[in-house]
Formats: sequence, C-alpha cells, structure tokens
Amino acid sequence: MGEILKLGFVLMAVTLAAAVALGLANWKTAPVIVEQELMARQNAMTEAASVLAPGDSLVFDSLCVQGLGNPYALVDQELQVVAVSSPGLGDLGYVFTAYGKGYSSVVQTLVCVDLTGTVAGSVVLYQQETPGLGANVVKPEKLIGQFTGRVAAGILLKKDGGEIDSITGSTITSRAVTNSVRLGIEAMGEAGLFDTGEGGAP
Amino acid sequence: MSLAKDFSNGIYRENPVFRLALGLCPFLAVTTSVENALGMGAAATFVLIFSNLLVSTFRKVIPDKVRIPCYIVIIATFVTLVEMILHAWFPSLYQSLGLFIPLIVVNCIILGRAEGFANKNRVLNSLADALGMGVGFTLAMIVMATFRELLGNGTWLNINVLGTSFQNQPVLIAILAPGAFILMAFILGFFNIMDARREGR
Repeated sequence: MGEILKLGFVLMAVTLAAAVALGLANWKTAPVIVEQELMARQNAMTEAASVLAPGDSLVFDSLCVQGLGNPYALVDQELQVVAVSSPGLGDLGYVFTAYGKGYSSVVQTLVCVDLTGTVAGSVVLYQQETPGLGANVVKPEKLIGQFTGRVAAGILLKKDGGEIDSITGSTITSRAVTNSVRLGIEAMGEAGLFDTGEGGAP
Repeated sequence: MSLAKDFSNGIYRENPVFRLALGLCPFLAVTTSVENALGMGAAATFVLIFSNLLVSTFRKVIPDKVRIPCYIVIIATFVTLVEMILHAWFPSLYQSLGLFIPLIVVNCIILGRAEGFANKNRVLNSLADALGMGVGFTLAMIVMATFRELLGNGTWLNINVLGTSFQNQPVLIAILAPGAFILMAFILGFFNIMDARREGR
C-alpha cells in the first residue's frame, strides 16, 4: 500500500511540474502566437490582392453576404468574404479563405478575386502536407500560381478534365486545394457578388 | 568511460539509425530533402539534450517502477515547449518544421537514450551522449536525404545539381515512401558489408 502511494505521489509530482511549466509557457506564448497569425494573415491578404492596386494602400472590410452558401461545412469551416478596396480606386474585389481536406491536413488557401470573379492572386496560409511532396503547395509556381487570371470554371485539375497541372506525386493535395478554391468562388458567384457584365449585379 | 568516447559513440559505433535502428519513423518520413533532415536533426537533438539532462539529474529520485511514464511526461513537455516557443518567436522556422515537432515525441531515440544511458550515468556523460546521438541522427538523415533529394528532385539543399532536364523527369520513387525503404535497405546492407569485412580481417 505504502509503495503504491509513493509511486502515485512521484507520478503526480512529475506531471504537476510538467503542467506548471506548460501553463507558464502557454500564458507567455499564446498572445504572441495569435498576433503572429493575425499578421501572417494580413500580409497574405496584402500579397494576394497587391496586383489589383499596385502601389496603392488596400482597405479590407469583412462582409456579411445574404444567401452565401458554405462549401466548407465538411471540414467545419465557414466561407467568409472580405471586401478589398483602395482609397484611390474604390472597390477592387474580394478576399476569402478556402479550406480543402488534403492528404494529412486541411489546407488553407487565401484567395483574392476581382469584381468579375477572376482570381488575382492566392497564398497558402496553412498546410501540414507531406514534406517534399504535398508541402510543395506553398510554392506558387507549383499549383496556386496557375489559378491567377482564371474564373471558377477554369480552376479544375487536368486529371478532372480541367487545365491545372497538379503537383507531381501529390494529386490529393492538389485536388483539395483546387476544388476548395473553385467551390469558394462558385458560392460567391451564386450569392450574386460578381459583376458578370449582364447588368444584374448591384 | 570518457566524455569524448560517450560523444563519438553515437556517431558511428552506435549510430542511432544505422546501428541501433532507433528513430526510423521520423527518419523515413522526413528525409525527403536535406533541409528537412537538418531541421528535424536540430529539433531532435535539442529535445534529446534536455531530456537526457533531466532524466540523469533525477535518476535517483524517480522510482524504477514508474520510470517510463516519467520519461514520457518529461519528453512530451519539452517537445510542447519547443513547439510553443518556435511558434511564438520563430514563425518562419516553425513553418518549415511544423509537422516534425510533434513527431519528436514518438522518436524512440530519445526514450531509448533516457532508458539506456541517462538512467545509469552521470549528468555530464549523459550530455555528451545526447550530443553524440543527436549529431549521429542528423548525419544519418543527411546521408539518406542526400540520396533521396538528388534522385527524386535533382537538387541538394534546394540547389539545382542535376539540371532542369532531370528535374522534369526525376526518379520520383526516391522521395515517395517505398523509395525510403529501398534506399534504407541499401544503406544498412553497406554497413553490414563493412562489419563483415572488419570481422573477417
């Protein structure tokens, strides 16, 4: 009996010390991490939208869109649209984050589209895909660079009948990102966000 | 045993990957590029040093019967600390190492050395052992990653070595999982031949 108590006591002391150390570290690092992620997001938005207004400062406003579907319900995320404008040029387009279930993570891609629904730029915000294979998705020239200048219908892998080259050896990751981006743009189109040239859009 | 001997032990004579066959899971998983190998090696060495130090310091306090749970708590705590610190203050390093950091917990080199060495030896010797094992692990990963990155991507440490024509048609299997096993077999075979030669002499 005495020995069991002693063992239990030692284990408790070790785990308690570990919990205190982790608690302290979390208390110190959590706010810094939140700030880092906000800044990374801000930088990504600016990078993706930079071609819309070269040299001009960009303003981002969160939008609440009526009738906007959610293509990301499967991965427990929501489609959130942010309007991009600049003081000099007025409304420029929209930014949203696409979530696609890849090989080993839900890849988050930040996409900027102009007012007609054409992709202006995209940046991978988060991925934990296989290093050396799927993780190449962060390199713009491998996949997401091909989205630029295309509308929703054109964002489809060659293997699925479209025109986008997938990353060598990483079809799952490529398909996840490509489809998530297309679905996001399609949902925004269905909600009437884009000026399709037919005079219907506000 | 002298400190220098404890250190050099891990590099060749008891190389964790090629001799002790420890830590194969991260070894096979992240050796797709030399950059990843270096990052994983550095992170694993860091955790190895601190876990060996702590285990060796408290080796007389921790009762034998619950030593393994204690080691696991110590190792997991250090790994989580490393992850938090990198995430907060070294975001670019965290970006490239993100996936490997949780993998360190399951790296049996660290538990293996806590159990097999730090448990029975003094603090300074344990430190030398951790450094040696860490360097040995990193070197082993660099050797493997060199083959895999060269064959599978035509580059070494992201520098184009074999030219663009090779890169368009690389030996893709080298960076896929089966290639890791095949190359591993060749490297282990090489070590066995070396051993056989030495014994025969």
